[in-house]
Amino acid sequence: MKIEIRDLRFTYPTGLEALQGVSLVVEPGEQVAIVGQNGAGKTTLVRHFNGLLQAAAGSVLIGEWDPKKYSVAKLASRVGYVFQNPDEQLFSKDVGTEVKFGPRNLGYAKEKIDELVQRALSLTELSDKTETNPYDLSPTWRKMVALASVIAMDTPIVIFDEPTTGQDALNVARIAHVIAELRREGKTVITITHDIDFCAENFERVIAMSKGRILLDGPAREILGQEHILAQTYVDPPQLTRLGKKLGLKETVRNQVEFLEIYKNHRNK
Amino acid sequence: MAFINLQNVTYKYPLTKTPVLQNINLQVNEGEFIAVVGPNGAGKSTLCYTLAGFVPHFFKGEISGSVEVAGRESSKSTLDEWVRNVGLAFQNPFNQISGAKYTVFEEIAFGLENNGVPREEIKPRVEEALSLTDISDLADRSPYSLSGGQQQRVALTSILVMRPKLLVLDEPTSQMDPIGTREVFGVVRKMAEGGMTVVMVEHKMEWIAQFADRVIALQDGKILLEGKPNELLTSDLLSENGFGISRYTSTAREAKKQGLWKSEKLPVTLDEAAEGFKP
Amino acid sequence: MHERLSYYVKRDSALHRLNPLTKIILALSIVLVSIVSPWYWTAHILLLLVIVPLSFAGRVSREYFTSAIRLILPAAGFIFLMQAFFQPIGNTVIFKYLFLDVTQESLSFAFRISTRIAVMISAFTLFLLTTHPSELMSDLTRRGLPPQFAYVIISTLQILPQMQAKAQTIIAAQRSRGLDTESTFFKRAGSVVPLVGPLVFGSLVEVEERAIAIEARGFTSKSIKTSLHEIPDSLSDKIIRWVLILLVLLSIALKIWLS
Repeated sequence: MKIEIRDLRFTYPTGLEALQGVSLVVEPGEQVAIVGQNGAGKTTLVRHFNGLLQAAAGSVLIGEWDPKKYSVAKLASRVGYVFQNPDEQLFSKDVGTEVKFGPRNLGYAKEKIDELVQRALSLTELSDKTETNPYDLSPTWRKMVALASVIAMDTPIVIFDEPTTGQDALNVARIAHVIAELRREGKTVITITHDIDFCAENFERVIAMSKGRILLDGPAREILGQEHILAQTYVDPPQLTRLGKKLGLKETVRNQVEFLEIYKNHRNK
Repeated sequence: MAFINLQNVTYKYPLTKTPVLQNINLQVNEGEFIAVVGPNGAGKSTLCYTLAGFVPHFFKGEISGSVEVAGRESSKSTLDEWVRNVGLAFQNPFNQISGAKYTVFEEIAFGLENNGVPREEIKPRVEEALSLTDISDLADRSPYSLSGGQQQRVALTSILVMRPKLLVLDEPTSQMDPIGTREVFGVVRKMAEGGMTVVMVEHKMEWIAQFADRVIALQDGKILLEGKPNELLTSDLLSENGFGISRYTSTAREAKKQGLWKSEKLPVTLDEAAEGFKP
Repeated sequence: MHERLSYYVKRDSALHRLNPLTKIILALSIVLVSIVSPWYWTAHILLLLVIVPLSFAGRVSREYFTSAIRLILPAAGFIFLMQAFFQPIGNTVIFKYLFLDVTQESLSFAFRISTRIAVMISAFTLFLLTTHPSELMSDLTRRGLPPQFAYVIISTLQILPQMQAKAQTIIAAQRSRGLDTESTFFKRAGSVVPLVGPLVFGSLVEVEERAIAIEARGFTSKSIKTSLHEIPDSLSDKIIRWVLILLVLLSIALKIWLS
């Protein structure tokens, strides 16, 4: 499902101009990371995708839907949104019921709900915790419950707001695995993140925002190397990108595989 | 005599079945900067609460062994005496805002007011602390109006202003952007050089390697490893046990297998990696 | 994100400069006098000739009138309707609605009670708008109130706006999961658990962590607390307090004497 944003502007009641003319198109199945300093407008932007916020000026299209004409509950069938803090959404007495909540709201048939819930639970490695009360789980597992409860809604577009904050290396790897799986299924994934290494390793396209505007937008390889522009929004290039630069490698590297390959060629010259 | 001395500390929360800390022995010298790493659930926060006196004084539960800081024994002190020497800041910044103050300046003065610091002294001390962590421009804002990263700086400053002998920090940079994180590490290093002892839980290996004196790796409530940052953080044991490791380390380890990394030692920081990969 | 999670409006005015205790006593006296005064029009006069001018003296008239429209008017209006319809007094029926009689007496009683409610809320709104929460806390502690008790008062004053902000995030998260909060009453009634559950749990965690955070900053320290701001307590404050107390005593005496 295509997302089309044209000259989007938004001002909070406090007078803060959070978005000052943002345009972008996300093709179906794209994996996009949005980076940028605190207050750059990242969350404000994605909250327009499922109608939580409504454009003051400009237009938003989700598929052929204008979010202004649909309720958030309706838009939830197209856009899944995983909030940063799982504790702000978990309420059920066990994990299974919690994960069922979303698909049930969307009115799927019972067999389909069961199937979606099973798949979401196995993807997030929660299958053995179906009966557990979410609040008896550690915060890292509660995060996975929040992920599962949105993935089970089987929306063509999934948004993650800071999925790796406060997570340890093991759980970051689990989240990366979930994102890879969604990509394989052809879903659009949009992720807000501070973790630039995570961004480099899991996303093909990067958008850098600053002060309500898009600063950079393009393939990760092009964007992540532009350290001077990224610095404007307090983002450092990924560790291996910096290393590549320091060693004088010609191409921008994003991850270990790329680094080793390009480094090999560089050394053999 | 070590400044922090933990002897065979084992602790169990009132409602859990197994101990969260098991037989912890740890000695730290005055002015040392210790980083604590480990997966979630390893007992890092509980260790912080133990050093800060909240285990067992606040959480109750069963503790054995002895906890000594600055020559005093935790079990023989009350919590309000203990916090005079030990400052604690933890992860969730929103819940650390006192809720009784209107501006950041007042929020930071809160601890000094509680300890009866004379009014003439409060103002200059708050100003000094604000400039130390570079948030003087936030002084008149409401603490609630700030971003998570800014609130974390306020939480840290609120503790620094009290000049504790021991500073305990539990993931104090989790919501900060990379540049903010590096700055906070710099501030903490500076405090350690001024004689403050620091114990800091963190995931960000690159900065630990650059700023900390020693690293403790916790797992399942036990100390798995302990040592100098660049030795410990490159240990195979860490990656095998699911600890986060720096991309420089993992890449060099892979490069070593392919014969592209010659040095015996693996890198943790950018400079070390660049040095080793230089043809 | 809310800029201020407190009702206080920082301004320089005669009302702002009063000692917090003086302002508590002022608010309480207005409320007490409006209740005990035997004269029918007391509450109405207090509202028009004391509260409204005070909101100008405190330079918070704009904020006061906003809350008057949003909170005070609906609350007083609700009380008025309840009393007018359900107060079984008087015989002079003005009109009937189903089985309910509205009499001249019930109407006049309703008008009096609802104005008292308006006076009550107004007096405390003015107090909150012009009193710095931490100055109130320091002042009360200095006068011997246990700090824990003072803290409970202050943080309760701040907790409503905070809960509101949190509730908004929770509502947003659940709507994003397809929860319909916009349609029929029955659907909305079903959405209470998903909204209240996280709010309650979050508050429990929050209370524990906040207790640790303030304790770590010496909240229960045995030292005598100091205060960043000098809290005004002038001779005129003392005079105002005594005059107010006298006025209250006088109204009580009048009430007893007349009854």
